[in-house]
Amino acid sequence: MNEYMQEAWTLLGVGMVTVFIILLVVVLIGNAIIAFVNRYFPESEIEKAATVRSFGNSRMAAITAAVNMVTRGKGRITKVERK
Amino acid sequence: MDILRELYNMTAFGAIVAQPGVLLMLLVGFVLLYLGIAKKYEPLLLVPIAFGVILANLPGGGMGVVPAEMVELEDGRYLNLFEIGSQYGIMNYLYYALIKTGFLPPIIFMGVGALTDFGPMLRNLRLAFFGAAAQIGIFSVLFGALAMGFTLQEAGALGIIGGADGPTAIYTTILLAPHLLGPIAIAAYSYMALVPVIVPLVANALMTKKEFKINMKQQDKLYPSGYQIKNIKLVKILFPIVLGVIVALFVPSSVPLLGMLLFGNLIKELGTLTSRLADAATGPIMNTATIFLGLAVGGTMTHDVFLDTRTIGIIVGGFLAFAISIGGGILAVKFYNLFNKKKINPLIGATGLSAVPMASRVANELALKHDSSNHVLQYCMASNISGVIGSAVAAGVLISMLS
Repeated sequence: MNEYMQEAWTLLGVGMVTVFIILLVVVLIGNAIIAFVNRYFPESEIEKAATVRSFGNSRMAAITAAVNMVTRGKGRITKVERK
Repeated sequence: MDILRELYNMTAFGAIVAQPGVLLMLLVGFVLLYLGIAKKYEPLLLVPIAFGVILANLPGGGMGVVPAEMVELEDGRYLNLFEIGSQYGIMNYLYYALIKTGFLPPIIFMGVGALTDFGPMLRNLRLAFFGAAAQIGIFSVLFGALAMGFTLQEAGALGIIGGADGPTAIYTTILLAPHLLGPIAIAAYSYMALVPVIVPLVANALMTKKEFKINMKQQDKLYPSGYQIKNIKLVKILFPIVLGVIVALFVPSSVPLLGMLLFGNLIKELGTLTSRLADAATGPIMNTATIFLGLAVGGTMTHDVFLDTRTIGIIVGGFLAFAISIGGGILAVKFYNLFNKKKINPLIGATGLSAVPMASRVANELALKHDSSNHVLQYCMASNISGVIGSAVAAGVLISMLS
C-alpha cells in the first residue's frame, strides 16, 4: 500500500506539473499566434466597423444570428445596407 | 405438466428467479431512464446507457458484455470480431470493436472539437491556467481510492471522473480498468448532469459574497488587457494546428483525444471550405458514435459486475474528485487575487472543469444572482475550454504512467 501511495504522490506531482506546463504552452502559443497574425495578417476592420456603427451592435448581432440560423453557419455577411 | 415446464424454461422467468440481482439492475436501468427523460440529465447519453443496462440484464437476451477473459485465447490473443459476434451476440461485437479498441471516445471528441469555439479562451488567455488548477481532483482522489482498496490503475480510472469529461473518462477507463467502465461512465455522466447542483454547493462553501460580486468587465476597464486580436478568424485556424503538433511532442499519449478534438475544431474554423466535414462530425458521426457508446457502456453493467461494493466506492470517489476539482479552481483564483490588483471572480476557477458549456452557464447564473449586471459567461468559457485540454492531458499522464 505504501508503495502505491508513493506512486500516487508521484502521479499528483507529475500530473499537475504537466497540465500546468501544457496550459502554459497553450497560452504561449496563443500569444505567439496572435502577435504573428496581428503583425503580418491584420484584417481590415474599416468596413466592418462602419457597418456596426451604422446599424448598432444589437441589430448586427440579430442579423448575424438570423443568417447563421438560415444558412446553418455557412453564410457570410458581406454588406448590410439601409433601404 | 412437461409442456408448462418447457414453456417456463423458454421464458426469462426462471432465470430471474435464479438471479434476482437482474431485477435490481432493471430497476437501475429504469431509474436512469427516468433521470434522462423526466429530469433531462444528459439525456443524449443517459437514455442509451439506461436502455443498454436494461437490455444487458434481460436474461437470455445475450446482450450483456462478457469479461475480456472470455474472449481471450490461451496465447494472449483474442477471438476475432466474427467469432465474438457469433458466440456472444451483437452487443459484445459492438463493445469489442468500438469501445475496447478505444475507437469511439476520440470520434466523439472530434465532434466536440467541431462544436467548440476557442475564441473566448484566445481573448482571455491568462484565464486558461485555471483549467489546470481544476484538474487537482483527478490526482488527489487517488489516495482515497487506494485506501478504499482499488488498485493504482483502478484509482486512476476513478480519478478521471474529476475531469468532468465523459469521453475522456471512458477512454482512460478502457485502457486502465475496463472492468469498471460501466460504473465510472455512469458516475461521470451523472455528476456532469449534476453540475448545476455541485458547482453552487462548492462555490457557496468556498467563496465570500464579495468574491461573487467581482465584476470582470469593470476589472477589464480598470486594467485593460495588453493585446487585441486583429484577425480572429486566422488565429482560430492556426491555433489547433500549432497546438496539436506541440502538445503531441510533450504528451504523446494524449494525442488520440486532443488530436481529434483539434482536428474537429480545425474543420469547423475553416468555414465553408470544410463545412460538410464539420456537419458530418457534429451530426451523423457524433450521433451514431453516441448511440453505440451509450448502448455498449450500458451493456457492460450486468448484475454480476455492477452489484459490488466497489460501485459505491466509485460513486463516492467520483463525487469527491469532482468537488475537489471545482474547489481547486476556486482556490487557485483566490490565491491569484492575493497578489494581483486586477481581481478575477473565483467562479472562473470553478469552471476549469471540462463540462462545457454547462459549468459556465451555471457560474454565470450564480454571478448574476449576486449582481444582475455581472455577466461572466465569456470569461468562464475561457477556463472551461482550457479545462477540456487540461483533462485530456491529465488522462494522457495517467495512461502513460499506469497502463
